[in-house]
Amino acid sequence: MRKVHVLTLVVLAALVLSGAGAALARQETSLTLMGWSSSQAEDEALAQQIAAFEEANPGITVEVNLVPDYDTTLQTTIASGDPPDVFYIDSSRLADMVEAGVVDIGGDKIEDPEGIYESLRNVFTYNGEFVCPPKDFSTLTLIYNRDMFDAAGLEYPTDDWTWDDLRAAAEALTTTNEEGEQVLGLVTNPEAARWLPFLYQAGGSVLNEDWTEVTLDSEEAREAFDFYVGLVQDGFAGTASDVDAGWAGEAFGMGRAAMTIEGNWIMQPLADQFPEINWGAVQLPGHPDGGEGTLVFTVCFAVAAGSENQEAAWQLVNFLTGEEGGRLVAEAGFGPMPPRIALAETWLAARGEQAQAFVDAAEHAKPWSFPVGFGDVLDTLNSGLQLAYEGQATADDVIFETAAAAEEVLAR
Amino acid sequence: MATVAPARQPGVMTMAARRRQEALAGLGFMTPALIIFLVFLIIPIGAALYISFTDWNGITPVLEEGAFNYVGTANYSDLLRGYHIEDGREVAAAIRQRDFFIALKNTVYYVLGVVPTQTVIALVLAAIVNQRWLKAKGFFRTAFYFPSITSSVVISLIFMFMFSRGGLVNQAIAGLIPSYAGNYVNWLNDPTGLIHMILEPFGITRETAGAWAGKRTLGLTGWEWISGPSITLLTIMILNIWTTIGTMMVIFLAALQDIPGHVYEAAAIDGANAWQVFRRITVPLLRPTIFFVVTLGLIGTFQVFDQVYVISSGGPAKTTLTVAYMVFQNGFDRSAMGLAAATAMVLFVIIFTLSILQRAIVRERADV
Repeated sequence: MRKVHVLTLVVLAALVLSGAGAALARQETSLTLMGWSSSQAEDEALAQQIAAFEEANPGITVEVNLVPDYDTTLQTTIASGDPPDVFYIDSSRLADMVEAGVVDIGGDKIEDPEGIYESLRNVFTYNGEFVCPPKDFSTLTLIYNRDMFDAAGLEYPTDDWTWDDLRAAAEALTTTNEEGEQVLGLVTNPEAARWLPFLYQAGGSVLNEDWTEVTLDSEEAREAFDFYVGLVQDGFAGTASDVDAGWAGEAFGMGRAAMTIEGNWIMQPLADQFPEINWGAVQLPGHPDGGEGTLVFTVCFAVAAGSENQEAAWQLVNFLTGEEGGRLVAEAGFGPMPPRIALAETWLAARGEQAQAFVDAAEHAKPWSFPVGFGDVLDTLNSGLQLAYEGQATADDVIFETAAAAEEVLAR
Repeated sequence: MATVAPARQPGVMTMAARRRQEALAGLGFMTPALIIFLVFLIIPIGAALYISFTDWNGITPVLEEGAFNYVGTANYSDLLRGYHIEDGREVAAAIRQRDFFIALKNTVYYVLGVVPTQTVIALVLAAIVNQRWLKAKGFFRTAFYFPSITSSVVISLIFMFMFSRGGLVNQAIAGLIPSYAGNYVNWLNDPTGLIHMILEPFGITRETAGAWAGKRTLGLTGWEWISGPSITLLTIMILNIWTTIGTMMVIFLAALQDIPGHVYEAAAIDGANAWQVFRRITVPLLRPTIFFVVTLGLIGTFQVFDQVYVISSGGPAKTTLTVAYMVFQNGFDRSAMGLAAATAMVLFVIIFTLSILQRAIVRERADV
């Protein structure tokens, strides 16, 4: 008798608990967000945003997965058929991702698109549709070391600077420091991501407006190429490895260079690792004829086409890029700027007047985005720039080869 | 007393039955390993072979409708001929061909540099460590073998520090040769080819070399073909030689210890000196082991990837781009997984052919 009673109780308890569990499970939606981490400050800001979102939406939990080798991990996860619900897409990879059919096109699901900078909206518009809302954006500016300028008796750079001013300053600031190490006037790597602004300033371009024609082979391109490589050939500029650094920001922070061309992401490492550097930022020097131009780098939150919780995922994305969620990031002020026009003031207040140049640069910034499979062309250009830095290739060689590569990729 | 044929007793088997049982037991024990082999090796290789005949981008889930199209040998044609035929028209793929042959050129220089060097050094070290008069053999064996078991990523990072422009290696050389102090070599970021550097003092440059220097074969100019490994690739070669000497040395040691002592005694009686013993007796007796070590070396060096990924990502100017790294690049950065699979298949064919060739050469010599 006792055995039956105990058994009945146990069975009844199991039924009740499983019933309750099922009820809870029906309400709980679990989302996965995959991204990368650029700094601890960014991770903390993201964690705060997620916490605020979960509080406002009790039925949804979000699992954040920040991976070091993002591109490879994301690709294998999506290809396996079990993609993360929300993931980052860099503007240069948008075409590849959309063409592969793995992104849920936002369109009307994106809340309040008017509040986002128009240029950013255009970057993430593919085939006429707004695909994914931007997470943040960074622009390239000229970062300079105020103490070195003072020591050399030079005026600080201004937004009106031209190529000639840059060259003169780089020449004057290339010296040897107290330890006998070389200090470069300008440190910048031979890559498309640093040279393209000069091409745009000279009035040149790589492709035409609707990406149907290659326009690289031009006098403007040669002029921009010769200027950029000329700085290195004449000894006033160099790469980060020339001064024993891993990247240009580190070279600048170590005091081995007076100027560098970098974006918002330099601010956090400078604050964390090289706080004694007294730096300032201005717009990139323009072409002597007045041409301005720089690059904007941006990333968006995308919802996977294969996600099983698309509605909840869009709720998350809209929160993270909305004013409420974006305010948390703007107040943290860790580096890239918020995509909403309304939050620009908050960010600037958190970051300080040094960061004004990054905001101003957005005006003349061209996007870092390309058609499908353009990686090969950028590789050819980077390769050519590296050889030109060593004096083993001329402007003609590199421009011809890159243009040919671009023709080939467009024809695919 | 009448003899009775022994009845079949339960528990005792015939010879045939026992053999069958043993065979079944053997198969049973092998099954887990066979399954793992099949699932993680044979099936993926088969899948890769299939994918190499498609234009899959590596992103869209494979089992989805329309994820890829069957394109026949287009990928192989792109790699080897620089174009492929699609719907009757010729679609150019010169970059793909050029990248592949740059990668192949770099890999071949790498192999030619690393395999002989590591085999010879390993053999010499093994012969030294095997000497009877050497004390603390255990210590030397451990010391030489240690780099082989350390993570290649960790070693690559340490080498990056050591070989940076202001790093230990340059400082050490400057200490030995004072005139080096102002002209540090940027080991990790120098795309100048070794052979180009050697030819330059003789006045032979791209302009003065002759008409063949500008002629393009398979995507590369004649001058580019004879570039030799770049300084950065040379650094990676040094890293790899240092890492694998240990493994090869241990293999040679084991083989050396197999050589019977009476052979050396006979040699001593005949009045051979140490060098003659080494050259005429030890090396010929080690021939099968040398073949094994060289094959291992070939297979390993043709697939070099870790160091390139950590140190240089194929740069500077694609001079450390190897075939294995190109497979990774095409598969993950360029959304061209079909092409990556085709590249991997071509690499397999190359390594396989070389191994067969090597075996044929060694067998011929052994018969003489």
